[in-house]
Amino acid sequence: MAEHISCQEVVELVNDYLDGALEPEEASLFEQHVNFCDGCEFYLDQIRTTIATVGRITEEDVPPETRDKLLDAFREWRRT
Amino acid sequence: MIAYKFLRADGTGVFTRFAWPLPADGPGAWVETEPDPCRSGIHACRVGDLPYWAGRVLYAIELDGEIVEHKTKVVARRGRLLVRVDAWDDDFRAAYTRHCADRAHEIARATGLERWEDVIEPSVPEGPALLGFVAARIAERAGGVPAYHAERARQSEWLAARLGLV
Repeated sequence: MAEHISCQEVVELVNDYLDGALEPEEASLFEQHVNFCDGCEFYLDQIRTTIATVGRITEEDVPPETRDKLLDAFREWRRT
Repeated sequence: MIAYKFLRADGTGVFTRFAWPLPADGPGAWVETEPDPCRSGIHACRVGDLPYWAGRVLYAIELDGEIVEHKTKVVARRGRLLVRVDAWDDDFRAAYTRHCADRAHEIARATGLERWEDVIEPSVPEGPALLGFVAARIAERAGGVPAYHAERARQSEWLAARLGLV
């Protein structure tokens, strides 16, 4: 196994890391990278903040117009 | 077991943001949790682990109960901060960063990897964790994974000798 991971791998693994789904060795390499890489530390903080914010929003909190725009965007995304 | 723990400048955990009970007139309060590497438990460094986790402030920590030995860390059920390692200050961090940068140049020149020198000096402002990695990574490029670990071991010996750690 590699002794380190790249910034790209941090981006790919961030959700599994936050879910506690990484194997200990992989999680350790993830944290070592974040410990020395300011960009990835900032990215991890952003994702944490996003999850904390979005997790507090219920469907009723979203205005109908915004909900429709989001649904259209997701439909378009699935077609591309 | 006595080990070491890096924290943020405000005394919180680097990854968990847990507000550690700091030592005052004596050790901080015990903190207890299930030991499960990278998920829960009291995470700490043996001397040989210090270069992998170099951070802002360093404490000696007493670990107790079940202790899981990991490749680059130990994870315990209980822990309490004993004392701050005052020698690990901004001047020391800068000196260690410089040491790692110089080692990185030395390895690159000795192994025909001068091209890698371009990344060294621009990385210096980022501090000791990055420069330790850069030096070990250049060593690895020159000599494979054993050279990476050898450079990390060399870094921990440098730290232990100057911080008076055992």
